[in-house]
Amino acid sequence: MTITQLSHVAMEMGVILLSNGAETYRVEESMHRICIALGAKEAEIFVVPTTIIISVTLVGEVPLTRTRRIHSRKIDLTKVSEINHLSRHICFEPTNYKDLLAEIRRIDTIPSYPYYLHVLAFAFISQMFTLFFGGSLMDSCVGFLIGIGIKLQMDIMSRFEANVFFTNIVGGLIASTVAVTASGLGLTTNMNTIIIGSIMTLVPGLAITNSIRDIIAGDYLSGLTKGIEALLIGAAIAAGVAVPLSLLRPFWGG
Amino acid sequence: MNYITPCLYAFGASLAFAIVFNIPRNKLLLSALGGMLGQLIYVVFQLVISNDVILYLLATIAISLYAEVLARLTKSPTTIYLAVALIPLVPGGGIYYTMLYFINGDIDLGISTGIHTLLISGALAVGIIMVSSTVNLVRKVMLKSKTKIRKKFKYGKNT
Repeated sequence: MTITQLSHVAMEMGVILLSNGAETYRVEESMHRICIALGAKEAEIFVVPTTIIISVTLVGEVPLTRTRRIHSRKIDLTKVSEINHLSRHICFEPTNYKDLLAEIRRIDTIPSYPYYLHVLAFAFISQMFTLFFGGSLMDSCVGFLIGIGIKLQMDIMSRFEANVFFTNIVGGLIASTVAVTASGLGLTTNMNTIIIGSIMTLVPGLAITNSIRDIIAGDYLSGLTKGIEALLIGAAIAAGVAVPLSLLRPFWGG
Repeated sequence: MNYITPCLYAFGASLAFAIVFNIPRNKLLLSALGGMLGQLIYVVFQLVISNDVILYLLATIAISLYAEVLARLTKSPTTIYLAVALIPLVPGGGIYYTMLYFINGDIDLGISTGIHTLLISGALAVGIIMVSSTVNLVRKVMLKSKTKIRKKFKYGKNT
């Protein structure tokens, strides 16, 4: 395998890992392992949540450095898990370039769950957490509606590439507007429960987990970045929820 | 009955979150069980311990152990199980009430709730750190002792 092909394979796998929600240290580790397994003499890899830099050295060749900027990030842990399997496979038995590329392309195009299931999942999360925090059946139905609303809103806003914080502010806004309205109309009595339950859909669970795990692994830069992202998202949700609460309650008398 | 229902709700919510995170089909149920386990530990130890920061710490330790063990068994990243199981423990209520007290003008209450929420988040982080670091350490010690044994065998053959 030539040095160009080697770095290409490693880079493609790293990009799939990083843009689908793997921890930063996992990306660095697996790219390094892949390079060594494919016959590199040395491989230096630097990953932050938005960029990958890789520098490979083969015996008797000029070293090669590549950089890739990650623009869009989403969460698809199936792909992370599959790439993980593939990198383990490469380490145990050598594979040729063409097969590797085909396998990477297959993993990259694995379909995620259908869209209606995602919408239903959001609604279900919101409903379940409303019940979880002590809401009644009626409250949970309001939560169900809010979940659907938040999912649709997030997708519309991400289509226009709105930033994450603004998306979360609007999400919190929807949750508390609907809950305050519902309690103003007399449908429910405990709007607090509904709001808490429905903002759980916006909680950045993966960012929290990844930031802690990155910090443990010694990757302070990425860990802090993700941790601050999680904190800011939490603040954004709270800010979004606060606006209708303070503006609408005087009218509805909540 | 009062102890079982929150666990079931946590299970349902975790299952839905597993779908949102696009977790592989054959691991959906396993990861959702993690969310239920955390809640179960929380509810069970509630009978003994009254400090809820410690309860959160215990629940996090339980789910991290669960996640690490299952990740080794199924040969997949730990995040798959950990991220989903952690979500029912995230103090969403604390964040909300902190904000609510502040906009109602109860600054003292807001500050105390805020610090309590921060403590709970800290407990979650510490729980994950404790388990993950210990597991890593144990794995490395085991790897090292294995290679040592192998070296000894080689020596034995040569001499």
